[in-house]
Amino acid sequence: MTQSRSPLAKIGKGLQILLLLAYAVFALFPLLWMFIMSIKPDSQMLTTTFIFTPTLENYATVLHSDYMQFFFNNLIVSVAAVLVSLVVGVPAAYALARFQFKGKEDIAFTILSFRFAPEILVILPLYLIYQRLGLYDTYFGLIWVYQLITLPLLIWILRGFFEDISPDIEAAAQLDGYTWWQVFLRVLLPLVKPGLVAAGLLCFIFAWNSFTFPLLLSNNVQTSTVIALRYLASDTVHYGQVAAAAAISALPEVILALLIQKHLVRGLSFGAVKG
Amino acid sequence: MASIHLSGLTKFYGKRRGVEDVSLQVGDQEFLTVFGPAGAGKTTTLNLIAGIVTPDRGSIRIGEKTVDPLEPADRNVAMVFESYALYPQFTVYQNMAFPLRSPKHCLPAAEVEQRVRHFATMLKIDHLLERQIQALSNGQRQRTALGRALVRRPDVFLMDEPLSHLDAKLRHSMRAELKEMRGQLGTTTIYVTHDYLEAMSLGDRVAVINQGRILQVGTPEEVYFQPTTVEVAKLFGDPEINLIEAKIRSRQSTSVRVQALGEDWSFPITPEIGSALDKLTGENVQLGFRPADVTVGVNGNSSLHGVVYSFEPLGTKSVLTIDSVAGQRVRALVDGHRTFQVDRRIEFSVPSASLIFFDPESTRYLIRSTRTEGED
Amino acid sequence: MAELILKTLTKVYTQAQSAAVDELNLGVRDGEFIALLGPSGCGKSTTLRMVAGLESVTSGEIRIGNKLVNDLHPKDRGVGLAFENYALYPPLKVRDNLAFNLRAHGLGAKEINRRVDEIARTLQIQELLDLKPAALSSGQKQRVNMARAMVRRPSVLLLDEPLSHLDARLRVELRTEIKRLHAEQRFTTVIVTHDQLEAMALADRIAVMNEGKLQQFDTPLEVFNHPANEFVAGFLGEPPMNIFRTAVADSRRLVIPDTDFALPIMPAIQKLVGSRKELKLGIRPWGIRVSQTQTDGAVPGVVVVVEDLGDETRVGIRYGEVLIMSSIPVTRRYRPGLPVFLNFNEEDLNLFDPMTGERLSDGSDSSNQPYENAAENEIQAPVSR
Repeated sequence: MTQSRSPLAKIGKGLQILLLLAYAVFALFPLLWMFIMSIKPDSQMLTTTFIFTPTLENYATVLHSDYMQFFFNNLIVSVAAVLVSLVVGVPAAYALARFQFKGKEDIAFTILSFRFAPEILVILPLYLIYQRLGLYDTYFGLIWVYQLITLPLLIWILRGFFEDISPDIEAAAQLDGYTWWQVFLRVLLPLVKPGLVAAGLLCFIFAWNSFTFPLLLSNNVQTSTVIALRYLASDTVHYGQVAAAAAISALPEVILALLIQKHLVRGLSFGAVKG
Repeated sequence: MASIHLSGLTKFYGKRRGVEDVSLQVGDQEFLTVFGPAGAGKTTTLNLIAGIVTPDRGSIRIGEKTVDPLEPADRNVAMVFESYALYPQFTVYQNMAFPLRSPKHCLPAAEVEQRVRHFATMLKIDHLLERQIQALSNGQRQRTALGRALVRRPDVFLMDEPLSHLDAKLRHSMRAELKEMRGQLGTTTIYVTHDYLEAMSLGDRVAVINQGRILQVGTPEEVYFQPTTVEVAKLFGDPEINLIEAKIRSRQSTSVRVQALGEDWSFPITPEIGSALDKLTGENVQLGFRPADVTVGVNGNSSLHGVVYSFEPLGTKSVLTIDSVAGQRVRALVDGHRTFQVDRRIEFSVPSASLIFFDPESTRYLIRSTRTEGED
Repeated sequence: MAELILKTLTKVYTQAQSAAVDELNLGVRDGEFIALLGPSGCGKSTTLRMVAGLESVTSGEIRIGNKLVNDLHPKDRGVGLAFENYALYPPLKVRDNLAFNLRAHGLGAKEINRRVDEIARTLQIQELLDLKPAALSSGQKQRVNMARAMVRRPSVLLLDEPLSHLDARLRVELRTEIKRLHAEQRFTTVIVTHDQLEAMALADRIAVMNEGKLQQFDTPLEVFNHPANEFVAGFLGEPPMNIFRTAVADSRRLVIPDTDFALPIMPAIQKLVGSRKELKLGIRPWGIRVSQTQTDGAVPGVVVVVEDLGDETRVGIRYGEVLIMSSIPVTRRYRPGLPVFLNFNEEDLNLFDPMTGERLSDGSDSSNQPYENAAENEIQAPVSR
């Protein structure tokens, strides 16, 4: 309908944009603050005015240290953790969605319950076990323990997606002459792709941000989240370097999120709609 | 092309009965409709034949081959699902080509193209081939689902309520089109429906099923005019068949006097009916007659009396509900041009030729007067 | 009880492209039963909700018993609404469900009991009064739902698709009951339905709606036999009316190009056809007689479909894209491939403009129909009984 916009409607529209902008600043403030801190020299760190001489020195220091080594460590364990979760979690989610078996809901709930307890609660026994098994301070150890974080999330998101697909579609494809595996790869996987992307990304973020596990279950195989601690020296705190390290560390997440934004929104809202 | 033999098929879902002891023969190129209310076991039967569900007992033969151990893909049956079960990520063309490109069939691209186009034209969806499934109307989706089944040229077609999600107008025209198409295909088909009009219109024979058991298998005429039980009689026809208890008062060789609907009436019977009535243990018989067979108020020779309870015009026909003398209601289908005032006293009669006799104890069919053609 | 008048009633949702209900004019007489009939999204439910006060009115008037009720609270309008999904209060017994509304209006316990018992008797739900909704079958729920709408003796009774969730058998049964109830009680009633049989069976007059606009408002038989346009013609009737495009050949015959179909233009429709080159022909399956002997003006064809449906037999005859269905007596046996001749019943012919879909009319149709001008946006004076 070509309704002529009244002045009042225009003002309303403007106000709406203003409010959204204000919210965007509010929501992104931590990121913004981190970035500002990262280009402040240490000397001006605690001034309350916004006047400072921007510097890239913090980045230089961080990049010239062995920080990047830990950055890649984090990348390796996080990506590997997500991959393992996908390999294990997709079939698990499918099974939980499709098959009727005894104790199905209990198993699903148990998997979810891994997310209930705070990590700090289980870290001590885990530490002892890891020491004995020789998993302490290994990539494999971290990837394994990360499954506690990523697997429940992935299974629960994808289960909803598989439940949304009518079993008729699978039956139809099988009648059309495809084996179960081909049906799974050619028909089902494309249909759950939005969920796969969304769940994969969320898992990556949670794994990447994990702090307690890498802090206490590794030493040399540290991740970038933990290593930022080292800038908190005993004498002074190098806020600028912490901020720079954090900014670098946040970069992959931001880039990933922007790249697959479309899938993310669709993936997360799709699963939520079903009653 | 093949015949289908089901013997003793039984499937329980936990404690719930899917189907029990279903035995059925479908001839080569026959079109069999499986008709029953919701939850009767119709879809289970189809799924068993397709191999989507495995039976607890019983076996299935398609042609000369026992298919029990075969995977769905190896049975060479095509199915049209009630939900259509189209692949939402594909276009119409890709949906229809999907079975032909499968490792099972794996036809060359040119052949795929030719077949898809052929059946798309036949189904009048050739202009939609590049559309996404989401962009289709219900009727177009239904045609696409049909097309995906047709392109394969399978031994057997299984159709699960393919028309039930279409609006009334489309359903009628699609039904006629399906019936027309049937002749060209000549493939053995099992068609499941809860709509008795579809069952009667499309089927060479109709299998009536309820609560997991087959009640009757017969031609549309047989199930409509000679239902084996009261239950079957009630499933066909809208409005439902009238069923009344009649007490046999006296019987001659050619006529019988009964008390029913609170009145005495007599009608002529044939020797066959006579001997069927002899088999009854009690003196009661249950009579069934279709609303369309009731004649209302003509030239005063009607034998029954009543009061108009309700009158519902439906266009060409009207439903008249009559309170009989005994209080039991009788429905009549009358010509759309006649109108009746509520609470008016009227006379009506039931032609003896339209009466179906049931045993009141077992509710089983006894006999009915033979319908001769041309008779009213 | 009172009459209900809708005057240029309009509803526009802010986000929508067009009006959900567009300048609707309807006059419902005291004690009359009317049906709002149309496909989903035609605005019939919105109209009902506006009358009930559950939806705000964009413009226009709603009058109940000559009182403007546009801005009244639902409870002050004197309407009773039976919801499509029953909407019974689950924790309350049936008796309390029925009494709930009366209590809200501050009636005495004795009066409430009297009324509840009375309505329970009318709807034959006495034995259900002490049950909770969860224990009821869907048919029983619908009876209770209707009883709740009627117990407060509303001026206007509104029924929103009351039968749509019932199985076929129950639907026919309850339809009869509602019809009977109305004959006894004479509530001014508006029913919303998408089922044309339901509308035909129940209503004194039917308002057919499509895309927010009133298409026709008339008695069931008039709407059925003289549909105002192609939409109404196609929406009512089962099996549907045969509607197809024909060309006028040398102003003497109606033909479907490239087929054998050629129907001589009868004197009765000569004037309607006029100088048109093309028009749409509508005829119900019963309006065509099929025979094997050629008679004057008969159209030759070949049977392609035969449907034996017990009480009736339908045959289909194809002309190119057009499949014409006809109803024949069950006693005759036709088989596909049989050459036949179609006789079109003159008075059953409907002609429509191929562009607008409007019925072609010389005005003589409506001469005995004083209320047909409802379609031209005029309010009819309510006739009191």
